[in-house]
Amino acid sequence: MFISYSWLKRHVDLTGVSPHDLARDLTLQTAEVEGVEPFAPALAEVVVGHVLSRDAHPDADKLGITQVNVGADEPLQIVCGAPNVGPGQLVAVAVVGTKLPAADGTTFKIKKSKIRGVESIGMICSERELGLGDEHDGIWVLPFAPEDNQEMIGKPVAEALGATEGQYDWIIEIDNKSLTHRPDLWGHRGIAGEVAAILGRDLKPIVTELPAHGSADTVPVKVESKGCSRYLGIAIDGLQNGKSPEWMRHLLLATGQRPIDLLVDISNFVMLDLAQPNHLFDRSELSADGILVRDAKDGEAMTTLDGEERTLTTADMLITSGGQAVALAGIMGGEASKVKEGTTQMLLELATFAPTQIRLTSQRLALRTDSSARFEKHLDPTLPMKAAAHLVSLLAELQPGISLPSAPSEDGDWSDPACEVAVRPDRVRAVLGLTAELLPNQRMEEMLTRLGFGVKDADRATWTVQVPSARSTKDVGLEEDLIEEVGRSYRYDNIPEQRVMAEIAPVARDARRSLVRSIQDRLSGASAFDEVMTHSFVDVDLCERLGVAGEPTVRAINPVAEGYERIRRSVVPNLLGLVASNLKQQPSTYLYEVGKGYLPERAHGEFEEPLEVHEAALVIARAGNASTEVAHFVCSCLFELKGVVEDLLYATESARPGRGGLPGLVWASPDEDMVLAAYAHPGRCMVARAADAKGKATGPVLAFVSAIEPGVGAALGLTGDSAAEVAFATVSIDDLIAAEQKPILHRPIPRFPGVKVDVAFALGEATTAAEAEQIIHQSGKGLVADIELFDLYQGEKVGAGQKSMAWHVLLQSDTKTLGDKDLHKFLKRVENGATRIGGELRKD
Amino acid sequence: MDTTLQPELQGHFETAQGRIAAATSPEELRAVDRDYLDKGGVVAGLLAAIPTLPPEERRGAGQGANQLKTAVLGAIDQRKSELEADAIQAARSGKGFDPTLPGTPMRRGSLHPVTRVTRELEDIFSSMGYGILDGPEVEIDAFNFERLNIPSDHPARDMHDTFWCKVDGAERDSDMGLLLRTHTSCVQVRAMEKLKPPFRVVVPGRVFRQESVDASHEHTFHQMEGLVVGEGLTVGHLIGTMKTFLREVFQKEIEVRLRPGYFPFVEPGFELDARCPFCETVGAGCKVCKQTSWVELCPCGMVHPSVLKLSGIDTEKYTGFAFGLGLSRLVMLRYEIDDIRHLMGGDTRFLGQF
Repeated sequence: MFISYSWLKRHVDLTGVSPHDLARDLTLQTAEVEGVEPFAPALAEVVVGHVLSRDAHPDADKLGITQVNVGADEPLQIVCGAPNVGPGQLVAVAVVGTKLPAADGTTFKIKKSKIRGVESIGMICSERELGLGDEHDGIWVLPFAPEDNQEMIGKPVAEALGATEGQYDWIIEIDNKSLTHRPDLWGHRGIAGEVAAILGRDLKPIVTELPAHGSADTVPVKVESKGCSRYLGIAIDGLQNGKSPEWMRHLLLATGQRPIDLLVDISNFVMLDLAQPNHLFDRSELSADGILVRDAKDGEAMTTLDGEERTLTTADMLITSGGQAVALAGIMGGEASKVKEGTTQMLLELATFAPTQIRLTSQRLALRTDSSARFEKHLDPTLPMKAAAHLVSLLAELQPGISLPSAPSEDGDWSDPACEVAVRPDRVRAVLGLTAELLPNQRMEEMLTRLGFGVKDADRATWTVQVPSARSTKDVGLEEDLIEEVGRSYRYDNIPEQRVMAEIAPVARDARRSLVRSIQDRLSGASAFDEVMTHSFVDVDLCERLGVAGEPTVRAINPVAEGYERIRRSVVPNLLGLVASNLKQQPSTYLYEVGKGYLPERAHGEFEEPLEVHEAALVIARAGNASTEVAHFVCSCLFELKGVVEDLLYATESARPGRGGLPGLVWASPDEDMVLAAYAHPGRCMVARAADAKGKATGPVLAFVSAIEPGVGAALGLTGDSAAEVAFATVSIDDLIAAEQKPILHRPIPRFPGVKVDVAFALGEATTAAEAEQIIHQSGKGLVADIELFDLYQGEKVGAGQKSMAWHVLLQSDTKTLGDKDLHKFLKRVENGATRIGGELRKD
Repeated sequence: MDTTLQPELQGHFETAQGRIAAATSPEELRAVDRDYLDKGGVVAGLLAAIPTLPPEERRGAGQGANQLKTAVLGAIDQRKSELEADAIQAARSGKGFDPTLPGTPMRRGSLHPVTRVTRELEDIFSSMGYGILDGPEVEIDAFNFERLNIPSDHPARDMHDTFWCKVDGAERDSDMGLLLRTHTSCVQVRAMEKLKPPFRVVVPGRVFRQESVDASHEHTFHQMEGLVVGEGLTVGHLIGTMKTFLREVFQKEIEVRLRPGYFPFVEPGFELDARCPFCETVGAGCKVCKQTSWVELCPCGMVHPSVLKLSGIDTEKYTGFAFGLGLSRLVMLRYEIDDIRHLMGGDTRFLGQF
């Protein structure tokens, strides 16, 4: 909202207080000031000139040659085309070198020039050229008589008009958000009240009562709609519309309003002054039945003042007369009741409308006006009568001929919201952190009084604070609200800093956060992955490429863009979406994100909140055609990722291997009933679960590792020159927290040397590594301390349907040094074991 | 020792000594060893010839051969030590060594900048005895608004640009019960459900506002909420806490100012500005504070009694304060990131810098 410094001066003496001081004080005590800018800064550049003579231009009928005294030794010769320029006027002159604003926002510089052969030294300005409105039919004649104002000549115009800090006026912009709870501050009077309290000065009085009225019949007013708590209609006669006075036009311009004519301007002026929107109807256009405020009918149409036809619903409210809509309540007048030229009889409307109803209508119609913005904030219902008195008195000053033919007419079910609140000064100090020395009772009372509150029982421990209607509306109703009033008057800035004192007690450990941290540390550290954060939304296009567009999701009803309404079920899709772009930059990419997904099919609770799943998602992608694990089993993305996940689960202590090389994790193909994401490769994926003491899988699936489904690679554009191998994994944070942690327990360091032996099997292609390793473990009878697969071969040498696998095995005993005999026994058992799984021990 | 073989022995020794002195490798020394001291070598030959000598010569010849053996062995050992010392000396020279050759390449991972700053703040608050809480991102209206003193007709809802949600397949469809949380403040309510005062918690997390994305706006960003409830807590404690926190973050004294700010769930409510910590280094015309010399850091305030009461907390006994730090903003300040879109962009050229 724009506040004019000059406008504030109508309400409070600002002597010695600069606009910047004011802005700082308001920011620290009332509401955030976003900026302070001069209004019409050109007025500080141009000077007052006295037109001495005007002669016709020899070669141009419409041009005149003027001699203008700007306080220099010689008058300036200025060629001027304005019809209204004439000797004796005081005018605004831009001398050579002055910079003026151009229409496109830049500036232009006045130069000495020749116009139709006649030298012109400077320019006499119109209002438009000075940023004072649209007027450009002639030059701006200053409202001063030259004979009384000789000393002004040659001075900047701003100074002649009564400048503050060199400028005609200053515009103080206040952040609207910081006024959300202060409907009373949506006008200059309200802000002036704050300024008066800050400065300790008095507000200048304004007229608050209507003048005497005639005894004609009142205009009937009836309220049917629940959304209108007060409707006040005031008939005014004897009006003559025309141009509003210069001071009013300038103040409106300064606050961003375009002056139109007196009736429109004065209505706006009172709204910007007292925060009460109001409307002037042409009484001759109203029916004899007067005004009826009612809810609109479904599908009812009306044309608003901006010429738009609006289709309404029963949630909207109308001001009607004789069955016809004359205004969209609280938002905009109707085209039909526009004031006609020559009208002298008006009906002034001032009302109180329900904030929510106005807000919803204004939102639905995308029609936000100065009026709706104020009603939305919840206006004081006592304000309409005060605003009426103010408007009528302003109007009477300008047009002494007006009169009120009849008594005001009013309807509505309103009550004065003024209230009383019990306030304990000790409590105020206790919450603010102030002592009675810093903030004595007397000072507190003074602060409240200055802000317009009444204080009763100030000699008791509990005061009764009277809250005027302007402040009790939507804002002050609790002791805490008055603590705020005192706090900001004291200035929060002045409150001394205090340290929180508390018992020293350990803070509850957060298992989830420690787990997430250790996952991040492992992945960003040893595993050398980049941590990403992606949106919680998944683009429909990506979902289609990944084949998951049909999955149920939580959706935003009002997404930022069409197709961006789905909220992710898993973190994986958005990571896969990053693969192609990152592979354009680097040959490989290692990404992970720890985040949340939402499963609507597992909703719970009163509001059917979707199940939140917390997971770490990992992706490894490498440009080039996929390698297979048979050729380079340790190099494929899939098995590299399996290694990373295994290490990760180990690091998080959920899957520490037990004694004797027993696995801490059991890897297997997913169970048949497990639902795989469409982008997972159904034939090349695996799940990890914790191992029990016997090495059997137990508990939920902790991790899922998969290659991408073959078709998905192509859908992601990873074909041809961009071909890439991609594997992804998810690790369930929820299940890891629930899983039994295997704490680190010290084992004795082996006392006896171990024996290393290589074991190679020829096996059927379907036999798994786990099956073969189990044979080796069993054959060791507890002596296998370590086992490592180092070769996997499929090809001509072993024949079709066969494969060869070879392990380094470490045998070690706690009780003796193992000898050839032990080794021999082991190999014998291994040989027998191999045949049990349809293979044989290779001896070549 | 007195033997006629003396000249011959002397000749052998001098020859051996010459070869030893000339030797430049252990192999050459081993050859001398072999020629003189091994089976079939010079010394062995001398010893073998003893029986052919006259008896009176034999003793002297034996001693002479043994002396030759000892002398050659000694000379070899000495030369060996010299050669070893030379070798070490030579190895120390480092001639041709290039310290600028690259190290063995290692891939390097990165922690997201938001994670980095979140951890830093968590650690600061943990050290001051704060617990760390988590809450859902798909939230219910009650926790995001109602219980925070923002009823359905409250104009403050407009400022929140809420993403309202519906759930595929749910029976209740769009009754506005579900939303993406617009602030981490909803976890205040969850904290008060879960914890008994006194308590101190912070809640980092992502929040959502329905607005278009550009260099300085994201619909998804990060906040860290703080909530402290206890007996006798005052505005002074809030100021003290925020100042302590800022001193820790910026590792210097930071001037702050509090000014009124409106948030329905606090009363009184403030905006906390910090004296721009960058103006000092950047100088006048700093972009961070837009030349105002103040940076808006965090809205905060004393918890509104209605909020405490709605959670069953005795407002006569307990007061509390809350603050909402703009994590994304702090991240951008800390790393001089000028485009917020980088944070959620997933470009490894950006991520790899952290």
